[in-house]
Amino acid sequence: MNFELTEAQQQVGRNAQTFARSHLDAMALDLDRCGVFPKGIIDELAGHDFLGLLVPMASGGVGAGFINHIQVVEAFSRSCPAIASILNNHALAAHAVAQWGSDAQKQHYLPPLAKGRKLGTLAIYEDGPSPGIGPDPLLALRQGGGFTLTGTKAFVRNAGVADLYVTFATLEPTAKEPRLTAFLVDADTSGLTIGPGLDTMGLKGCPVAQLFFQAAALGPDALLGEENGGSAIATRLLSLGSLAEAAQTVGIGWAAVKHAAEFATRRVQFGHPIATLQAIQTLLAEAATDCHLAWLGIQRAAQLVEDGAPFEIHAAMVKAFVGRFGSRTLIDAIQVEGGLGISESKPFGVGGTMPLARLFRDMAGTTLLDAPADFPAKLIAESIV
Amino acid sequence: MDLESPAQQAVRSAAKEFVANNIITRASEFDKSGEFHLYLLDAAKASRIFAMAVPKEYGGLGYDALTQALVLEEWGYGCAGMGTTLAASVLSIEAVLIAGNDEQRRRFFAPMLNGEIGAFGLTEPEAGSDVGAGTTTAVREGEGYRINGAKCWITNGGVASVYVIFAQTDVKKGTKGLSAFIVERDRPGFIIGDKEHKLGLRSSNTVYFEFKDVQVPAANRLGQEGDGMKIAMKTLDTARPAIAALAVGLAQRCLDECVGQLHRRFPDRPFPGQTLQFKLADMQIQVEAARQVVRHTMMLRDAGLPFARESAISKTLGTDVAMTVSSEAVRLMGSGGYTSELGKFMRDAKVMQIYEGTNQIQRLVISRALLAPTAGAAPLPKGVAS
Repeated sequence: MNFELTEAQQQVGRNAQTFARSHLDAMALDLDRCGVFPKGIIDELAGHDFLGLLVPMASGGVGAGFINHIQVVEAFSRSCPAIASILNNHALAAHAVAQWGSDAQKQHYLPPLAKGRKLGTLAIYEDGPSPGIGPDPLLALRQGGGFTLTGTKAFVRNAGVADLYVTFATLEPTAKEPRLTAFLVDADTSGLTIGPGLDTMGLKGCPVAQLFFQAAALGPDALLGEENGGSAIATRLLSLGSLAEAAQTVGIGWAAVKHAAEFATRRVQFGHPIATLQAIQTLLAEAATDCHLAWLGIQRAAQLVEDGAPFEIHAAMVKAFVGRFGSRTLIDAIQVEGGLGISESKPFGVGGTMPLARLFRDMAGTTLLDAPADFPAKLIAESIV
Repeated sequence: MDLESPAQQAVRSAAKEFVANNIITRASEFDKSGEFHLYLLDAAKASRIFAMAVPKEYGGLGYDALTQALVLEEWGYGCAGMGTTLAASVLSIEAVLIAGNDEQRRRFFAPMLNGEIGAFGLTEPEAGSDVGAGTTTAVREGEGYRINGAKCWITNGGVASVYVIFAQTDVKKGTKGLSAFIVERDRPGFIIGDKEHKLGLRSSNTVYFEFKDVQVPAANRLGQEGDGMKIAMKTLDTARPAIAALAVGLAQRCLDECVGQLHRRFPDRPFPGQTLQFKLADMQIQVEAARQVVRHTMMLRDAGLPFARESAISKTLGTDVAMTVSSEAVRLMGSGGYTSELGKFMRDAKVMQIYEGTNQIQRLVISRALLAPTAGAAPLPKGVAS
């Protein structure tokens, strides 16, 4: 088994690291403070071809594989995880069109998505236990050859700034086992309104809000894939999403470990740098181990995605693993830095700002379990029972 | 909880009511603004709760340690940031109870009885865990001392009226040259610096300050020259289970909020799947264990028995549990948890693992009591404190 990346893959990884250092490092603090979607950076991302990674070359994209996607997400997360989130949600929406869209849909959506003239995102979750069975599910009705959507989607990333919402609705709620249907919904669809941005503790700049649909009328060409074929699409997108979130966890984790390690070599207590204390070394070593092993698992799963092989169980295992250590990495990295680690500003006696408090808040938003279906143990257990 | 005396139950239900009416209602607002919750001092003035540790003979409430823990748990349930203001004020009171003479106590407690608060200043930029590395000095001059230096990360530092400050009266002796002083806020040369913007406990006031030739009379010295380290350690022993009590309250609040969110989100399903049920059970097991360790520590103290080891255990367990439970709560409740007050509890808990002596320092104390036990209290590692 070969873990070596091709030269082309390595080049994308290097480009992402360079871009993160040149563009994202400097903006991360301000973005966290102001929390306003950073429109300007979208053009930069497009200019460097990061928005079209998962779009085929024939449709104006880069035609790169999923390994490149997780490399970019991981590299960006070391500098500014909010940008990684914006990019990831956009990329998965573009992937959905590329994978399941008709030729006409691909022609219409993919070139602008690839070039950053349009931003995309996914609208999967609802307030209930799973889409279709909560208090206010998004229901689709067939009407005049097209569809109308009524109901609410919850916790939509890139809400209010996206031009395309890959939206999942229930077409036949009374069916024995209702399934989802996927639609391509333009932001300017009449009957669609965006709720107020939710107050998130981190990943500020990546807006999260509800989508309200009131008899929003869609043409027949808005249907993505088959009627009632959306559940399979959503499942696959969530699996890909959990790999990307895992890459984000690893990126944030490494950034924190490296910052704490560097701090520990400078901070002198009891006559020695605290990096010489075993208790500090253990905290750093365990966090580094978690990040390293998670990355191996993520790469393996991403390779399966590229091979067209089943990867969902691998993705679930990765999700379960990063869920266990994600927040702990930041909890421990901050512990190494003590009072200075919890500072959100320039603490007394230190020249610059301290990033770990921000990364702590970003990490908390990266490893969430949004629906019972997100609990990875279920999928893993079903594969072995 | 029937093991509490009727008096303790009455104090607790009064605290619960105060917290419901004055703290829970405004905690988010002050967390967002990061402003100090000045209104709370007014709201609490009539109850004189900031003087709960002041003995009755000095006109305070004279609560025993266990009763104080009950109050702090309720305050932590409401807002650990606001609870920290109370705990830090109590900390300064404890220092004066431990080392102050009768005149000093009367003088120091007077503002507390009037609804004002105190602060405890030990930490310095280069002296965190390593207390002996402090460079603030108090030089004897005639009838008093001249203090020079800086302190940082001082809770209530910008809003207290009276302070217990630690300074070197003999730099050559390190921790053995440390002495403790009462310093009033209005002393010339006592300069309050900028407020720290923190990850959590945001409405709790944290500042650094400087002393530029601050003159204090010898009557402000607590104990003898060189007693500072002993006073600091004994005071922190009393403070650590108090922090743990706040942490237990915070953790229980997370659990209650989780249950509330689950019932709101899944009204037709009183019980979620076993995975979630067991997670909740594990969280409650930890919270209850921490709560009982805190109360046991307080009972030891009230009985006049050694409690330094238990103090370190309760601080570590309580704040680690608060961290675990709040992070799990955010993760399990998903985006709904992440965008709710659960996120605040997680940020608050992180600070609590650090202040009043990092949990790493507590582990040193605990392991030394195991590996090198001596009669009585656990020996402290040389020069180790907050």
